[in-house]
This record gives sequence, structure tokens and C-alpha cells, in this order.
Amino acid sequence: LGASQWLPCPQGPQPLSPLSFPPTVTSEQIEHLHRRFKQLSRDQLTIRKENFDSIPDLEFNPIRGKIVHAFFDKRNLRQESDGLADEINFEDFLTIMSYFRPIEMNMDEEQLDRFRKEKLKFLFHMYDSDHDGKITLQEYRNVVEELLSGNPHLEKESARSIADGAMMEAASICVGQMGPDQVYEGITFEDFLKMWQGIDIETKMHVRFLNMETIAHCY
Amino acid sequence: MFLLLPFDSLVVNLLGISITVLFTLLLVFIIVPAIFGVSFGIRKVYMKTLLKIFQWATLRIERGAKEKNHPLYKPYVNGIIAKEPTSLEEEIKEIRRSGSGKALDTPEFELSDIFYFCRKGIETIMDDEVTKRFSAEELESWNLLSRTNYNFQYISLRLTVLWGLGVLIRYCFLLPLRIALAFTGISLLVTGTTVVGYLPNGRCKEFLSQHVHLMCYRICVRALTAIITYHDRENRPRNGGICVANHTSPIDVIILASDGYYAMVGQIHGGLMGVIQRAMVKACPHVWFERSEVKDRHLVAKRLTEHVQDKSKLPILIFPEGTCINNTSVMMFKKGSFEIGATVYPVAIKYDPQFGDAFWNSSKYGMVTYLLRMMTSWAIVCSVWYLPPMTRQPEEDAVQFANRVKSAIARQGGLVDLLWDGGLKREKVKDTFKEEQQKLYSKMIVGNHEDRSRS
Repeated sequence: LGASQWLPCPQGPQPLSPLSFPPTVTSEQIEHLHRRFKQLSRDQLTIRKENFDSIPDLEFNPIRGKIVHAFFDKRNLRQESDGLADEINFEDFLTIMSYFRPIEMNMDEEQLDRFRKEKLKFLFHMYDSDHDGKITLQEYRNVVEELLSGNPHLEKESARSIADGAMMEAASICVGQMGPDQVYEGITFEDFLKMWQGIDIETKMHVRFLNMETIAHCY
Repeated sequence: MFLLLPFDSLVVNLLGISITVLFTLLLVFIIVPAIFGVSFGIRKVYMKTLLKIFQWATLRIERGAKEKNHPLYKPYVNGIIAKEPTSLEEEIKEIRRSGSGKALDTPEFELSDIFYFCRKGIETIMDDEVTKRFSAEELESWNLLSRTNYNFQYISLRLTVLWGLGVLIRYCFLLPLRIALAFTGISLLVTGTTVVGYLPNGRCKEFLSQHVHLMCYRICVRALTAIITYHDRENRPRNGGICVANHTSPIDVIILASDGYYAMVGQIHGGLMGVIQRAMVKACPHVWFERSEVKDRHLVAKRLTEHVQDKSKLPILIFPEGTCINNTSVMMFKKGSFEIGATVYPVAIKYDPQFGDAFWNSSKYGMVTYLLRMMTSWAIVCSVWYLPPMTRQPEEDAVQFANRVKSAIARQGGLVDLLWDGGLKREKVKDTFKEEQQKLYSKMIVGNHEDRSRS
């Protein structure tokens, strides 16, 4: 795999796990991402949360906090333990970026399904901030409030009621009719998958590299 | 010992003769034409020769890289990722439609709404519009300056020899020549303006001061070996107007002022710069502010207004971006100069980075380092376009007027018109911008909610 040859990892070239990098991520793209990593980390080996403050465009984004958080979430980094990492290195950075790689033509059913689940898991982790595997009403409310927080005319009550309404809707899809004293604990990952049925997330949740030519090419 | 003596005096004689010859050549070919504003065309020939050499060097690198199987990295200009051109509304509508089939006019929040913001966030983390603008534009062919080459390794003996020769010429021949010229130019400026300052006010004084300024700027232009092409000179700024231009480096001032008469605006500095400024203001009414006065916007506006209303005074030269940008784009113009109500004469300046990159990255290099880099490049090549004058229309405010001028400049110079504030280089985004995206989304959800509850 050519990618491992070119990875200019500061710790020295490391073999990358085949799950993360299909052959279509070229060495050139990795080189570009590495340059971006170095720019963000100011030439250090790792990035911390504060380094994301240097991206002016990101301030626009209402869920900025959740996105940055996602980079340090150990579940996204495919690490065994749970919780948040303090800092990430280039390989971790690439791991997060791999959730946004585009679909390939030659994927079979099983690969496509796994691909889709990976991306949805990333989004699930964004909602589920306490890492308990369920999106509770409070967590749902948090996300809606953040997304709607820019509107000064919107009272907290309205945002809350919108969130509650959406949660009820979700409950009805997942569990069906509930009795008056039944408590809906939260959206599990399986329920989450149900709600995204029909939406082709795998064709939309990606970031495509522009086609760049190299002047000479070694393979 | 006796043998050394005649040898010694021989060396001294030779040195003396060569210095005299050098200075005579300097005088005849550079200073005298500068005073009279004529040109022998030496610089154009120089530029053509250099171009041929650069082409050869680039071909040589490509060939050498192919032979040795090195991939060459062609630097990107437009960013590395393809950003989707669809808007917030379109995307969310599309996702909702394909999902639960609900349209946007239902007031509920959908789980999938988070997706758009998530993707946008990742896109900006991967590749940012703004910080790219601030490092020097990356070149497509190599210009024999190792500071601009990412692919420079030992490719061939001939290339390395050529590069070494280039270094020798630039540092040992061109650099001393340019420093001598710069020195001459600046001292002539200071002494000339001081002398003219003693004359009584009147037409004679104005005439002399304008020509002293012009002469010295022309010498400085030659000190940098700047090869400038002026377009549309009939649109040059007139008295009582304001000239605005995009800003890439402090050299912009010299480039514009060597083709017209301007009154400068700026902050008084200490040191050599301060000496020059104080001498200049004796001969001609430039507008210099003390550091404390610069913060007071009303005072600044008042002085500028007084200046433009006096029709006998020269047009003011202002750079509204407020900082140096790397000449691939034009950033937001500060509205102060557009509030005054005078006619605005826009000027677009575009540098050709092939011969020497004129961008001053003030967070990376100090002024002296920057000037040395300029003087050891091959040349500074640029084009100046004088655009037709613009005035503020009654229905637009200062910000809209500023944006209109900015678009005209960007279009003419082939630069990208960015809405961003050049001051972002150092500060963080103002809070007002932060809220726009959130407002838009929440308006979409809540606006409909209110309509619903009303009906």
C-alpha cells in the first residue's frame, strides 16, 4: 500500500490499519491533510482543543463545540477506553477524517452497510454526549438549543418545546404507541438507525478532494 | 616588501577606478533617466532574459524528477476540497424530503438537520478560506530562488550551478547596487523636501515639491528594479479626490506615487521613517497622525474631509484593507474613507510573483528583513490599472459603497473578492458574524412555528 510509504508521520512511518484507508485515498491527499494538521498544531506533534480556535470559519458554525468534541471522543478514535482524549496525533486526525470519505464505486452490499453505519455512529456520538449509548431528552434538547441559539428572539421555552415535540415524534417511530405512564428512556443506536432509513447519508456525508495533478508520478 | 608596494597601489588604483566606473554608470543609466522620467528599456530586456532562463530551469526540474521517480508536488491555489455550492435551506430540504417526507414548512426539528452543520464544520477544519490568503501565493514554475521552491533538491549539476550563479549575481552585484540607489533616493528626498520647505508658499513651491517627490520615488522604483505597467492612465486621480488601492506591501506607495502626485496619509513613526515623514510634510501638506490621534475616528475623518474639500490640495492615497494581503484576493474595505463623500478613484495593483514575491507577511518578517528579501529578488513586476472614478449613490451607505469599489478592483486585477476582514489575520471573528448562520437556521424552524401557531 503506497500510502504507508508516504505518511510523513513525525514519529516515523507507521503502517496504517487497512480498515481506515481504502486504496483510493491517495498519498497526495494525505500529504495535504498532514500540512493542514501541521498548520493547526503549529508544528507540534499533537492537537488540543484550543488549536481549533484558530479556524475563523468554524466560528460560524452553531454546533462548533460538538464538532471539536467529536475529534477528541475516544469512541470515534476507535480506542478501547471511553471518555475524552486530551490531545490527538496525526493518525487520530486521519481516523476522524475517514468518517467523511466518499463512497466508492466498487463497494458491495456489506461494505456499503458498514460504511453507512460508521457514519451514522459518528453522528450518534455527537448527540449522545454522556457516552451512555442513549440519546436522552436532555441531550436532544441540548442539541436543538445549540442549533437555535443564534436567534435572540427565540425564548428558551420555545426551543425546548420544539425539542420535546421532535423527541415525541422519534419515540413514536421507534417504540410505537406508549402508555401514559411509560417513560421513553432514550434513543438507542438501533432506533437512531431506523430514523435515518431512506436518507442516503453515505452519499452526502463526505468531503471530496479536488482533483490535483502531480507533475511526475511514481506508480 | 618592495615588491608588495607597487602591487598594493595597483590594487588600490583598480578598486578606485572600478568604483568610479560603477557610479558613473549608475548616474548615467539610472539616476539621470529617473530625474527626467525616461527609460532605456534595460529592465524589459532583463525581464525577458530571466523568463527564458526560468522556463529552462522548470523543464529541467520536471525532467530530472521523472528520471529519478520523485513525485513533484504542484501546489494548490484553489483549496484542496470541493465545497458544495448549495445553501443551508436547499440541503436541509433535500435531506428531509428523502427521509421522512416532511417539507420545511412543518415547524419541527428533524434529527437529520444536524448533518449540514456537521459537514460544513469538517470542511472548514480541512481547509479554510481565510488563513490561506495570508501566506505567500505558491508558484507554478521555479524562479531560481530557493525560498520559493518545495521541490529543490540536487537535480542536476547544471541547475545547481545556475542557481549558484543566480545567488552570486543577486547578492554581490544587484544588492549593493540597489542599496546605493535606495540610499541616494532617500537622502535626495529628505534634503530636497527640506530645501523646498524653506521657500515661500506659492506655485513655485508646489511645482518644485511635486517634482522632488516624483524624482525620488522614481529612483526608489529603480532601486527595487520594479517593472511597472500602467493601464488607463487617463483615469488618474485628480485634486480633491481619494485614491484607494488594494494593499500587498509598503512598496505599493512607491509604485503609485512614482506616476502621479499624491498626499500621503498615515501614522507618524519613529526612526528613519519619521525623519522622512517630517521632511516630506515641510514641502507638501501630507496628513500625518500621531499614534494617539489614529484611534479617534472622528478626528481622522475631520482632517481628511478638510483636506479633500480644499481643491488645491493633492488627492489622498489610502489603502482601506488596513493590512497587507497576499495579492490573490481583496479583503473587506474599512468604511472610514468612504464616508467622507469625496470622489473615489479606485486603483488595482497586481504583482507578478514570478520574479519576486512582494507580499509582506508582517507576522513572519520584520521591515528590514522584508526589504532585504525584496532587494535580493530578481525584480518586482506589477501592473497598475486606474479605474474610472466612483461616487457614493444616494441610496447606498458607506459599507455598500466600499463593497462596490472593492468588487471593481478585484474584478480588474483578477483577484478573488472576499467578504472577510483582513484584520482576521490577528484577531478573532467578530461576534456579529457568528450569529448569522444560527439566525438563518433558527428563522427557518421558528419562523414557520410562529406562522403555524398563528393560523
